[in-house]
Amino acid sequence: MSRLAPDRWAAVAMFAVAALTPLVVRDAFLLDSVILILLWGALSAAWNVAGGYAGQVSLGHAAFFGIGAYAAALMSARYAQSPWLGLAVGVALSVVAGALIGYLSNRLKGPYFALSTIAFAEVLKIVASRWRGFTSGSEGVPVPYRPGFWTLGLGHVAWLYLILVVAVGCYALQVYLERSRVGYQLAGVREDEDAAEALGIATRRRKVQAIVVSAAMTSACGSLWAQYVGFVDPSHVFSIDLSVRFALNSIIGGIGTALGPFLGSLLITSLETSGVEASFTGIYLIIYGVVLILIVRFAPDGLTGIAGRFWAWRARAHA
Amino acid sequence: MDPAARLGPAQIDVVAQLAVSTLLLGGIYALIAVGLTLIFGIMRVVNFAHGEFLMLGMYLAFFAFTLRGVDPYLVLIIAIPIFYLVGLFVYVLVMRGVIHASHNVQIFTTVGLSTALQNIALVMWTGDFRIIRPWESSVVLRAAGTAFNLAQVVAFAVAVALTVALMAFMKWTHTGRVMRATAQDRDAATLMGIDTDRVYRLTFAIGIACVGAAGVLVSPLYAAYPQAGLQFVTLAYVVVVLGGLGDMAGAMLGSLIVAAVEVGGSYIFGAAWKEVFYFLLFIGVLVFRPAGLLGQRGAETLGA
Repeated sequence: MSRLAPDRWAAVAMFAVAALTPLVVRDAFLLDSVILILLWGALSAAWNVAGGYAGQVSLGHAAFFGIGAYAAALMSARYAQSPWLGLAVGVALSVVAGALIGYLSNRLKGPYFALSTIAFAEVLKIVASRWRGFTSGSEGVPVPYRPGFWTLGLGHVAWLYLILVVAVGCYALQVYLERSRVGYQLAGVREDEDAAEALGIATRRRKVQAIVVSAAMTSACGSLWAQYVGFVDPSHVFSIDLSVRFALNSIIGGIGTALGPFLGSLLITSLETSGVEASFTGIYLIIYGVVLILIVRFAPDGLTGIAGRFWAWRARAHA
Repeated sequence: MDPAARLGPAQIDVVAQLAVSTLLLGGIYALIAVGLTLIFGIMRVVNFAHGEFLMLGMYLAFFAFTLRGVDPYLVLIIAIPIFYLVGLFVYVLVMRGVIHASHNVQIFTTVGLSTALQNIALVMWTGDFRIIRPWESSVVLRAAGTAFNLAQVVAFAVAVALTVALMAFMKWTHTGRVMRATAQDRDAATLMGIDTDRVYRLTFAIGIACVGAAGVLVSPLYAAYPQAGLQFVTLAYVVVVLGGLGDMAGAMLGSLIVAAVEVGGSYIFGAAWKEVFYFLLFIGVLVFRPAGLLGQRGAETLGA
């Protein structure tokens, strides 16, 4: 039977709606919302590769985001080169950083691993805010706008399709992880590392690989984000709030599922852009916090988990 | 702020001054860290919202001082019971449900709590930096070629007294023994008739009371703002991991080491880079001796 599972259909529908939006509306605000939903979804999917599929729950992914953002911003602002080159440099640096963090924190579990990832992101934040000669310190780096694809000075519609391609790529990678040998090995590492090791899985190498891939994806999205938003400052791009946000989308949508990060992003990002924020600074962050507490407590498998149970119940009722 | 800068180098014995600064700073860090390590040791939960209770303590002192003119050290007397109750309330409302859950659930519960509390503070009291200047902060004491301010000394003295009292409580009272027994083996403690839920409730409340008190104590020295807890709590993680998660004597030692790194690092390389040193120290300890300087090897790989 070649029928697609309901969650795959939901993803296809979501990406299709995103792709059709510019054909129907040209409202900059709406297009901006769609772009941000896809971009945050892609970033959370990147986090999900390490945090969800491999069980390496990081609270320091802002480190890779920041590396990518700074690489692209500095490359275009300081060296007047293409931000694509910056993106490539950022990915390369993040691969090295991810390998280092993954290797050094390999033995650590649970809260110890989370703490060490926080520490790495904090070190980078301090370096970026203090190394004034190179990064302009805490003033941040404004990214110059130069129209054209090579310089990533795009209109809303072009941005939407570019980010859509990235998002679909991130989704596809997650689907691959759900169906491939590597993905099953990662699940083994996540569920019981000793048992996985006993079955002959190179657990340490798999964990580092998951972090490296996740870091590279996060960094690339960070570069695109810097070009899209046009401004990079250390206290935001390296903040723990950002790291939490990557995790939050995945957890709300469903950790360790391909659709989860995008579903979480749809909910959280549209809450943020809907204007609740405009009336009270910080009010949506209070909602974030409370929702996070409630979700992990009452529905640790997130929205996709709830939907899955509902689907199973309906299938039984119809049978 | 820095007395050395105000007085000029001639009147200050550098080594003695650095040593005194280390000690004063270390005492305050110890009080912040001891609550964190207590909660971890007994409940096996890293409280990522610990810094937010510190921040609330700072705001309590700020508002008591500006609205009622109450000195921060008098506020302390009511702050400890208030934060004890806050701890009880948060435990019952948030922590009780996840005490037996997986690490990830616990991590994100306290992370969510941290985000919520930070932003409640932001919505209620804006993001402005609030600092109070009670008379103690402008009194400079001088002894043996060192200079320091009275607020620092009082904060240090009270912090050390509270920390020592807590350690004595844990060591010599029946409740303290019960708490330690629960830390050693949850199941065995339950079998011995210990009400572990009561132990966790008490632990969390005491931990929060400590950090709330620390918040009040540092209010004359540091500005209160919604993210004020973050700078201290990252440091408290370093202290606690250095000392071995759950080890109170280790937390005291860790506080002194972190304070020494901070004071020495700022003196040699400038204040801007001081945090880099303790984070590098942190990463070094996590990598080479994750169970802490005094802790038992191997605890970190159990994830417990």
